[in-house]
Amino acid sequence: MRLNPVIKREVKVQSRSMKICWGVFAYEMILALVFFLAMAIIRQENQYSTNNIYSSLIALYPALAVTQLIILALIVPVRTASAISGEKERQTFDIMMTTSMTPFSIIMGKVMTAIVQSMFFVAASLPVMALSFVIGGMSWSYLFWFFAVALLMSFFSASIGILCSSICKRSVSAVIMSYGFYLIFVVGTVLPIILASYLSSYAYTSGNASSGMHRTLGGVVYSYEENFFLPLLLNPVMYLVEFFVRVMAGESLINDVTSTTGMWQTSGPINLVATGNRWMILSTVLFLMVSFLFLRLAARRINPIKKKALRRVTRKAAKSISPQDSQAGQPRV
Amino acid sequence: MLQINNLYKNYGKFKAVKNLSLHIPKGDLFGFVGPNGAGKTTTIRIMCGLMLPSAGSVTINGVDALTHQKEIKRQIGYVPDFFGVYDNLKVREYMDFYGSMYRMGSREIQKLSDDLLELVNLSDKKEVFVDTLSRGMKQRLCVARALLHNPALLVLDEPNSGLDPRARVEMKELLLNLRGMGKTIVISSHILSELSEMCNSIGIMDHGTLVASGRIEDVMDSVFGNDQLIITLEEGRDTAVRIANEHAGVKVASVGEQELKLTHSLTKQEIAGMIGEMIAAGVLVTGFHKQEGSLETLFMRVTENEEQKGGTENAVKSSH
Ligand SMILES: Nc1ncnc2c1ncn2[C@@H]1O[C@H](COP(=O)(O)OP(=O)(O)OP(=O)(O)O)[C@@H](O)[C@H]1O
Ligand SMILES: [Mg+2]
Repeated sequence: MRLNPVIKREVKVQSRSMKICWGVFAYEMILALVFFLAMAIIRQENQYSTNNIYSSLIALYPALAVTQLIILALIVPVRTASAISGEKERQTFDIMMTTSMTPFSIIMGKVMTAIVQSMFFVAASLPVMALSFVIGGMSWSYLFWFFAVALLMSFFSASIGILCSSICKRSVSAVIMSYGFYLIFVVGTVLPIILASYLSSYAYTSGNASSGMHRTLGGVVYSYEENFFLPLLLNPVMYLVEFFVRVMAGESLINDVTSTTGMWQTSGPINLVATGNRWMILSTVLFLMVSFLFLRLAARRINPIKKKALRRVTRKAAKSISPQDSQAGQPRV
Repeated sequence: MLQINNLYKNYGKFKAVKNLSLHIPKGDLFGFVGPNGAGKTTTIRIMCGLMLPSAGSVTINGVDALTHQKEIKRQIGYVPDFFGVYDNLKVREYMDFYGSMYRMGSREIQKLSDDLLELVNLSDKKEVFVDTLSRGMKQRLCVARALLHNPALLVLDEPNSGLDPRARVEMKELLLNLRGMGKTIVISSHILSELSEMCNSIGIMDHGTLVASGRIEDVMDSVFGNDQLIITLEEGRDTAVRIANEHAGVKVASVGEQELKLTHSLTKQEIAGMIGEMIAAGVLVTGFHKQEGSLETLFMRVTENEEQKGGTENAVKSSH
């Protein structure tokens, strides 16, 4: 497989400018700040205890990881939001579209560039991150999982950014729009639960709690509200919280929630997805699917020859040929 | 080579291109001429697959350009009217980037881009950053880039805009050179005198319609009719008119105080003979010259007619 030319060019160009150096510098500075803050807290907490302070260094892992993921979530959409609109502003887009590159491979090139870049940042954080593994004694597999989550979140953010970039004419509005998209995923997926709790309190006060709020699935009664937890599968914050709760405490937040709210006993859809690893797996798959969908949509948007419109034009052309003509001429293939 | 049939393009209600049909044979250097907003860029962008027409078809080398984008993209090299370059990229890398977008191997790109940079006179700029090149150099670089995948058809949208006279001459030379190599070239411009020096066929567009097209001489003839001859004289005007009328194929277009305007379909020898006759008959001829139909007057004349037509159309519309 050959390297996507877009990635090749952008990486080359970026390695020339000082921007990326300053970016890594700022990134490391923020991580250092978090590191010293976390160390101060750890020291404070262990001041009067005889505990082994070294094992407390495990706490560095979530602190640094969350910081990085937040930074990436903020940076990556900005990088990709200017990808297509930037080409248009620079007036290089048309030339690109007349080459043999397909719209999808252009989009992929841009997204991959952003991911490579964010992984570059993550790699730069390794020395600090390693402390919680080397000294804290944490299992190295969690480092791998952190990379995997960072990769997934970068991909998701990048695809949001690129979709907005293909929609908006200007880069600035594309950036704003991608943060708006984020908000929809972070806040919008929580709204159903808020709505549900409002509804259930209403049902409780009006005394018909059992009428509308329960359904049966395969003969088993389950609470209707629990379905409102399902959108959380696409909530990035929920994804990260679940991930870190699993890593640090060895339990699942969603399992806790479903069991304390009483859904645990029932066998509705939520329990199908909330048992064991299923929630994380399903969530990962959904994030990947949504990201791919966004990439496809972006590719469709930047394609000047839209299939539907093309069909309309060709149909018109076929109609305009008079019957004698089409009989006299060769059959059109 | 390039065949356009009944092309229409509407931007909303506005009709930018109306029923344009055109054939450009292989090896032609075709000039698209028209005033601002005539629809040249629109037509060119449709040709290059950057836009769908509202109706009509474009065929290149017998392949439907609208439905076979992939094949067509390899056949066309496009130089837009406005284009930008990337920052922090050297000329060599710029060529490399676009070459790899056509899936060419790096050795192939290397060789071809060396040749092309030589052709456009930029060989000594290979290691220079593209954004530091002058406008004319960028334009030539863009031509080299458009030729990288060896397309049969080269389309340039106003390649001369923003170039100084010297750069224009160079561009003209480059295009003639390319034509000599067997490329079919389409170029758009409002500068007619330049086109007349290099194009062998032209199409005149106005208000979205192709008003005239074909070989440059044919277009001129169809608009001006026969050649015009102007004779200036001191004395014997009436004799001159009589002699002129005696010749078959000569018509006196206008008679001035000291000037005779003739339209004719004579050969050069016949004209010389006729003027000899006049002098022999005692007419004091002080001078004579052929009136060349300049491309500018042609352009004015053709677009003028259109304007009147458009004007009446609008008038009819507004009266409703
Ligand atoms: N994207 C667009 N949306 C709406 N109208 C457009 C668009 N592009 C072009 N037009 C209109 O279509 C007409 C033809 O434009 P076009 O750019 O093809 O002209 P042109 O012949 O290239 O002119 P010029 O010599 O100025 O480059 C113009 O009246 C223009 O206003
Ligand atoms: Mg134009």
